[in-house]
Amino acid sequence: MRVTALATRLESTTLSRPEPLVLIENLRICFGSVVAIENLNFTVGRGEFVSLLGPSGCGKSTLLKAIARLVPIASGKIVLRDSNLSIGFMFQKPLLLPWRTTLDNVLLPVEIQFGGSVVDPTDRQRARRMLDMVQLGDFADAYPHQLSGGMQQRVALARTLMSDPEVLLLDEPFGALDELTREVLNEELTRIWQSNDTRLHTVIMVTHSIPEAVTMSDRVLVLTDRPARLVEDVQVRCLRPRTPEDPEAISAMKRIRTMVRGGR
Amino acid sequence: MTSRVQTPLIFGLLALAAWQAIVMVANIPEYLLPAPAAIFANVDRTLAVQLAVTFTEALIGFLIAGVLAFGCAIMFVRFATLEEGLFPIAIAIKTTPIVAVAPLLVIWLGTGWWSKIVAVILICFFPVLVNAVKGLKAADAEYRELFQTLGATRSQEFRKLRIPYCLPYLFSALKISSSLAIVGAIVGEFVGATQGLGYLIMVSSAHLETATLFAAIAAAALSVIAMFYVIGWTE
Repeated sequence: MRVTALATRLESTTLSRPEPLVLIENLRICFGSVVAIENLNFTVGRGEFVSLLGPSGCGKSTLLKAIARLVPIASGKIVLRDSNLSIGFMFQKPLLLPWRTTLDNVLLPVEIQFGGSVVDPTDRQRARRMLDMVQLGDFADAYPHQLSGGMQQRVALARTLMSDPEVLLLDEPFGALDELTREVLNEELTRIWQSNDTRLHTVIMVTHSIPEAVTMSDRVLVLTDRPARLVEDVQVRCLRPRTPEDPEAISAMKRIRTMVRGGR
Repeated sequence: MTSRVQTPLIFGLLALAAWQAIVMVANIPEYLLPAPAAIFANVDRTLAVQLAVTFTEALIGFLIAGVLAFGCAIMFVRFATLEEGLFPIAIAIKTTPIVAVAPLLVIWLGTGWWSKIVAVILICFFPVLVNAVKGLKAADAEYRELFQTLGATRSQEFRKLRIPYCLPYLFSALKISSSLAIVGAIVGEFVGATQGLGYLIMVSSAHLETATLFAAIAAAALSVIAMFYVIGWTE
């Protein structure tokens, strides 16, 4: 069952490109006189896991925020193919509210969506399931300051999933964490994306780690330094679950590394 | 815990005993420096009534100022134009010393409660306003982006993010204001009143009733401490 699901996914990314869900056309974004992004074109297909890779401060985060409508665009287009698409955004920092328990932090999106502060018991149950999913079921009543950085970021992931997104925008979600924690969380994230427990199907992730991009994504979009332009759209064709030792992955990493160096 | 209370208490009692001894040995007249025993003899029902009057004026003014200032802070943060236009005016009013304004308040509002309450409001308003504005802006821009991605309204952003973030700022401002409140009430009473600690201080100093004066000063100090603890307890 699992093998066929993987095979289908592999096929969809290698043989026929999936239907485009997010379209970026001739995008230009400025901050005052600084051009952050210029002449950028790409699409993200339904069901894809796409990484945006580039040097620090090249405008990747700006791009992601523009897709989430947090940043205004100067010209060009960002088209979401489905107007009802629910989008989840995960920031570099956990951004938990320090006066709320873990469970109440996870419930925040529901409270905002439905207005009141009285939470439906079924939502409460769902929030507990989300916490179980990120393996923090035992910490529902803990406060953020009692949790480690990695645990806080897991809570942030559970909170993002609580709004039941179909598309997940990740801004270096585990960038501030140590290597080991980061690897574990990346695996968990990939597992949640592949599983059918949530409606989540498409992920766009900003990263500056080449191994992270290659082990997680179907496609890696390599961007230049500011203003950000697309250098190359690299397809990663390894089977999942992947390891950084996979020969396919190693060759992809080498190719990307050469491009990043050359693109500067 | 007990030594934290006991040690200052012992030192305080020793100081009082020394004071009493010096007054008795040196035979200092009571109008210059009354002995502690003479001061305690003046702690009576009248003093308690005057204290209650001043404390009530201070508390009412303080509560009104707190609500007004917090409301203004929310409007300032919500509508930037209001802040730009009114904040400089607010600071201009703040730089006017309350002692200079108090006589005007008595002319406008008479020698009753309201001239004191308004003096208290004037003195308490600004620390709360300034701190509350700062606190309402204290949440990181990224928190606001998070609320935006969750589709929060402006009112939700205030209720679930900005106001909880502001509370520590608000309480530290209220603590500053609580001691100022007593000052405002006493200044108001100095200028024109028929009751209150300020009135008692003026009358007893005019009559050289120094022991009563000392008792009133001690009562004023106690009321400041009381206000401070009321806030601490609420917090």
